[in-house]
Amino acid sequence: MTNIRNRINVTVKSFATLREVMDAQIRMDLPEGATIRSLLAELTGRYEGLNELIFAAPDTLRDFINILKNGRNIHFLAGLDTPLDDRDLIALFPPVAGG
Amino acid sequence: MDGYAGKIAYADLSAGKVTIKPTPPDLKRQYIGGRGFGIRLLTDMVDPKIDPLGEKNVVVFAAGPLTGTGIPLGSRYEVSTISPLSGTAMSANSGGVFGWKMKKAGFDAVVVTGKAKKPVYLLLDSGKAELRDAAGLWGKTTGQVTNAITDELKDKSVRVSCIGPAGEKLVLFACIINEKTRAAGRGGAGAVMGSKNLKAIAARGDLPIKAADEEQLNVIKDRVRKKIEENGIEQALQKYGTAVLVNIINENYVLPTRNFQSAHFPAAEKVSGETMAATILKQNKGCYACIVKCGRVCEFDSEAGEGPEYEPDWAFGPDCGIDDLKAVARANNICNEYGLDAISAPTTIACLMEMAEKGYVKHPIRFGDAKGMLKLVEQIAKREDIGNELAEGSFRFATKYGHPECSMSSKRQELPAYDPRGIQGYGLATATSVRGGDHVYGYMISPEILGSPEKLDPYVTKGKAGWVKTFQDMTAAIDASGMCLFTSFALGAQDYADLLAATTGMEIDAAELLKIGERIWNLQKLYNIKRGFGRKDDTLPSRLLNEPLKEGAPSGQVWRRDEMLDEYYTLRGWDKEGTPTKEKRKELGLA
Repeated sequence: MTNIRNRINVTVKSFATLREVMDAQIRMDLPEGATIRSLLAELTGRYEGLNELIFAAPDTLRDFINILKNGRNIHFLAGLDTPLDDRDLIALFPPVAGG
Repeated sequence: MDGYAGKIAYADLSAGKVTIKPTPPDLKRQYIGGRGFGIRLLTDMVDPKIDPLGEKNVVVFAAGPLTGTGIPLGSRYEVSTISPLSGTAMSANSGGVFGWKMKKAGFDAVVVTGKAKKPVYLLLDSGKAELRDAAGLWGKTTGQVTNAITDELKDKSVRVSCIGPAGEKLVLFACIINEKTRAAGRGGAGAVMGSKNLKAIAARGDLPIKAADEEQLNVIKDRVRKKIEENGIEQALQKYGTAVLVNIINENYVLPTRNFQSAHFPAAEKVSGETMAATILKQNKGCYACIVKCGRVCEFDSEAGEGPEYEPDWAFGPDCGIDDLKAVARANNICNEYGLDAISAPTTIACLMEMAEKGYVKHPIRFGDAKGMLKLVEQIAKREDIGNELAEGSFRFATKYGHPECSMSSKRQELPAYDPRGIQGYGLATATSVRGGDHVYGYMISPEILGSPEKLDPYVTKGKAGWVKTFQDMTAAIDASGMCLFTSFALGAQDYADLLAATTGMEIDAAELLKIGERIWNLQKLYNIKRGFGRKDDTLPSRLLNEPLKEGAPSGQVWRRDEMLDEYYTLRGWDKEGTPTKEKRKELGLA
């Protein structure tokens, strides 16, 4: 039996075209030690079509996909290996632009 | 043929005469067109000591060789003048159809000098140009003027670029509007037109625009079309418009809120591009030859209009503490109708909101007051009540009341929708912008936030000076070519060089393209120095240098000018004061 203290809860928000395949905001219960990689595995398993939108190949995000952990792009943290903490806010962005 | 229309019209409003001359080959070779033509002609003709709203200022409308050639997103024209708001030699860019029509009417550029005794408009018509009476148009909104000229000429093919009442009233950030909703927005070129009693320029005709090598151009057209169509960023622009940025900028904690007092707006979703698409958006719309179509046609209640784009959406929304999308869209429509820059108008209102809340100015407006905000927009356009003071822009307004620190501007022009404290390179780009507070003279948001062409850490200053220089030079060249800046998400310097070579027949490669951009940039800089600008002006409001952000990942950060400015000057070949050296001027062929 999993100890509740060994679980973390994160909020995931999606934007723009990603909302066509997934919820705009969900809370996810994950095991302690979860990373962005394991979170995305969970999400792509849950939402059909998401994998194609964010991954170019296994372990390789598509160009211009931006994932933020509490406002910081994971590219400048540990990428897909960025560890998750309880109550993290993860924002998933497809390619967007403007000006 | 070489992509150019071949002629420039010189309209002397004081004499009531228009002279037509061939487009000089040297001007094409050295400056391409658009912003390059405008800045070269303007700075050649205007004494730096002049009053921007006096008779001696000049306004140049110029398209590029790629405007109207059928190249995807090749639609732009530039309006160059000495800005009454910032005092810089600046250009403002607009899309729509007018630029193409100006060339179909036979003209690469129009140079307007002097001041008409009575209101006039300039008609460009199949290689000819004439000044016509516009007394009956004075006081009319941009939509009314456009309809009236179309009716007068009994010609629905005519395209009109004009000012509204704000330009007539010399609001320092009055803009120029073509086809009712497309704006050459920044810097107050509309006020300069108003000061000259020039209400509009109308263009019609169907003269040919042919490339030097049509066959080769078609090959390159196909290549760039494919790149644009396949680029994910361009696809997002089509679906959600530029306001798709609201959420990503907010989630990065760099969305200026309540006059830059914060950089996160909890209700951002309510004014986002996603919400717009789900509520008031009727359809998207493109400029001439556009395959992206980021324009928003919005309808709600009894209101219809275009936009808001990201900038006015942010400025009337989060920057004013307002989360009512319909009020934001309504305010944007008022700006289009009256001819107001939809960045400077709302950010000046945000400045008033802060000053009123702090008791620096006695006024009932507060952040979040949508109704009060809408009233202020009209008051500014008409220069009524406090609107008369706000019409001078936030810097002059805040300074008048003893609190210049409340103006979020650089070189007296209001800053756009990004907080430099969390985007260091963007801060450098806007602080050194040769037209004052700005985002489209070097869009560093692309690498630092959006990850294109590669991801740069927005919190880091190292290496940013070089990126800023390249982006600024590249943008100047794109603005000269007639292409939309949004193509730069998908295209590189070589693509533009290939398009220009096939169109104009000139030998041009990526390095030469950037050199031309650098020449334009330095020309603006040199002229600004003659108008008194220097190192002291290449900066941002004290709040951004001294008051750290308080929320989210960039908490604790300020904008770190001193880590980047010297390196930027050195890379540019400028001295410590930011003056281009003799060697650099010689290299660029600038006296």
